[in-house]
Amino acid sequence: MIGVQDFIGYYDWTFEYLRRNFGEPAVRDFWVRAISQDSQTHARELIVGKGFDGMYEYWAHTLEMEEAGYTFDRGDDYFRIDMVDCPSKGHLIKRGLAAYHDYCEHCIGWIKPLMDDAGFMIEHEHNHAGQCWWEMRRAADRLTTPPPDRGPHDVRNLPNWQQAQHDVFLNSERLEDDTDDVGAAV
Amino acid sequence: MSAGDFYYAINATFRFIHDTYGKEALIDYWTSMAHEYHADVAARFRTGGLEEVRRYWADYFAAEPGGDVQVSLTETGVEIDVRDCPAIRWLKDGSREIIPCYCEHCHYVSTAIADQAEMRFALTGGGGTCHQVFGLRGGPV
Repeated sequence: MIGVQDFIGYYDWTFEYLRRNFGEPAVRDFWVRAISQDSQTHARELIVGKGFDGMYEYWAHTLEMEEAGYTFDRGDDYFRIDMVDCPSKGHLIKRGLAAYHDYCEHCIGWIKPLMDDAGFMIEHEHNHAGQCWWEMRRAADRLTTPPPDRGPHDVRNLPNWQQAQHDVFLNSERLEDDTDDVGAAV
Repeated sequence: MSAGDFYYAINATFRFIHDTYGKEALIDYWTSMAHEYHADVAARFRTGGLEEVRRYWADYFAAEPGGDVQVSLTETGVEIDVRDCPAIRWLKDGSREIIPCYCEHCHYVSTAIADQAEMRFALTGGGGTCHQVFGLRGGPV
């Protein structure tokens, strides 16, 4: 049986299987149709129906279940997650698994379509080392720069945050010029 | 305890490949996974024999959330008596539409693992209860 205890390993392998056999667009299509619109219908129902409250409800459940290292933050106009120890990427790093060339991309791959449908935008950055931050804001609340330092729980303040390659998203769009310090806390 | 909601993603992955690329592609996905991702499991079985098969599956099902599965080593091989499949249970409890060929993955994945380990595999049943046997190639059935 394909179980859930080693799911992350063959989830990563599945991305590479799809890329190898059907091309990179098939991986993106998989994240939208299989994950965002099918697997994660419980997240979709909560977030479309309850907004920020639904985000809290969904991620409180799933991150506890996955035993992640994380904090939540909530403002009037945002819901924030700081991930200091991603269980998913951490599983791969510990076991030396990297079948697909960009495992972390799957999160934005399924969460962005959901947030688009729910009327929210995403500010996000990950460092490919098991650390990332997310801020979801209402679609009308566009930013011109990444959000400010949110305090001690802000993952950007960790001494090991500035490692590996950083991918940055502002108003749900990838910043192509994602130099190392573009998302650093100020 | 493992995160049971990942069963939703497994079910959705099977449906995506089946509906987008067809049944043959889904079978290729399962057998490729067995030959690539599970190659180390097959090597363990080939080296450790049926006792390693028993140990692997007993540990595996013990780590899955829920379900009722008995694993035993008998004269015919390692018998896996799935009385309440943890995957089917989780999907049903979550009111998910289960792809009709969901249970076939056990047949294709385990047959391909057994082939690599120079063993044989047989499965009867499905839909939440089934009986699986890993045996030595040419051994008693």
